[in-house]
Amino acid sequence: MKKAIRNTTIADRILFLLLIVTSIAGLVYTREAFSLGSDVLVEVNGKPVYTLALDVNTEISIEGTDGRTVLEIKNNKVRMREADCSNQTCVKQGWISKGTIVCLPNNIVVIVGSRSKKDIDAITG
Amino acid sequence: MNALRNISLLILILLTSALSCSFGKASVFSKTMPLMDTMVSITVVADSKEAAESAMQRTFAEIGRFGELINFYSENSELAGINRNAGMHAVKVSPESLDVIEQAVIAAEKSGGAFDPTIGPVVRLWDFPNRRKPTEFELAQALPLVNYKDILIDRAAFTVFLKRKGMMIDLGGIAKGYAADLAVESLKKEGIRSGLVSIAGDIRTFGVKPDKGLWVIGIKNPRQTGERDEIIARIRLGDKAISTAGDYERFFLSEGKRYHHLLDPKSGYPAELCRSVSVIAEKGVITDGFDNAIFILGPEKGLKLAKEIGVDAIIIDGSGTIHMTDAIKDKITIEKGH
Repeated sequence: MKKAIRNTTIADRILFLLLIVTSIAGLVYTREAFSLGSDVLVEVNGKPVYTLALDVNTEISIEGTDGRTVLEIKNNKVRMREADCSNQTCVKQGWISKGTIVCLPNNIVVIVGSRSKKDIDAITG
Repeated sequence: MNALRNISLLILILLTSALSCSFGKASVFSKTMPLMDTMVSITVVADSKEAAESAMQRTFAEIGRFGELINFYSENSELAGINRNAGMHAVKVSPESLDVIEQAVIAAEKSGGAFDPTIGPVVRLWDFPNRRKPTEFELAQALPLVNYKDILIDRAAFTVFLKRKGMMIDLGGIAKGYAADLAVESLKKEGIRSGLVSIAGDIRTFGVKPDKGLWVIGIKNPRQTGERDEIIARIRLGDKAISTAGDYERFFLSEGKRYHHLLDPKSGYPAELCRSVSVIAEKGVITDGFDNAIFILGPEKGLKLAKEIGVDAIIIDGSGTIHMTDAIKDKITIEKGH
């Protein structure tokens, strides 16, 4: 190891340092660029009622058209934990980290989408 | 050996600085709550979830408190007190109620009455969910009660008086923008340096996102072609407010005609020259107050008013053509196909 370092020229060492700095800068930049994470959009009857962050663990109760459901967000995943409906299709779907959960009897749609991809922070109108 | 020590030290310093950048890094937190008869969303950039939650909670409470003061449909609101005592006596109100009414009168004056907060008696006659239009007789009785000049505000005594019995103030056309301003003040007081408050179509943005970018706001296409919340344009905002008035929010179709909630205070009927109007300014109370006024005036007079009062406007007229003030052109991107 000592010999290897002794054999390097100043140019080698500068190059080595430059590589380290570039990789660290890359790491920081990537964190910045992807820090927005994903959104969980909840719609009842086609109308958006909640926009939640996928990276914040939470539980919410949603009043659908035919009863109540409980949505759970944990460790960047979403599931419908409980639903007041007969078929329980949405509950059986289990955890998802992207895509959609639909509870037809309650007219509830849960969409997990990338916030950065959507590129829009709010809608006016 | 010295070279090895120097290089190791340098690596250590670089790694430490990189890690210190990562810790305590600002993230985006959002929450939505039903308040003021609509959905209110707050987005903040904060270093911790706790800081974000606490600021958002207090701000939601502030919006809720203000919403109760000026609720047109609640008998217990301060606004209901003013309306109930019209023609009888002045009513003492809180500073926020007084302030928003004063701002509403200013918007009415500057728009030559195109926006008029005393439109309450006419608003009461329309029932959009049940597709009910007022009769000519009903309108003829209500319209003479509409005149913002008959609002008497006493700033020293904190009172508001409506000169004639039957007059009613409805702040539906300005209160949400004012509430967005209050919300931003509340978030700043809680130490939040950047964020976004959205109360229905009334949005206030401040600061920048963690990636140092401006906030991107989509303007809804007034004639949706299928996709939910299809947008017609997107706009980038820093410390700004944007509000949109559209003929698609509350409406019904009858005999091929669209009857919507943006009523012309002079005729009592929906204004027909625009599909939607978005206004951009520093404050929500300005954007919310003037989006309705510009909508009612139509593209030509509306753009003239926007220039006069120094706000930006994006007007989609009755045929779908987009008009806008010059200063906004470099900040807006029209979506493909429009």
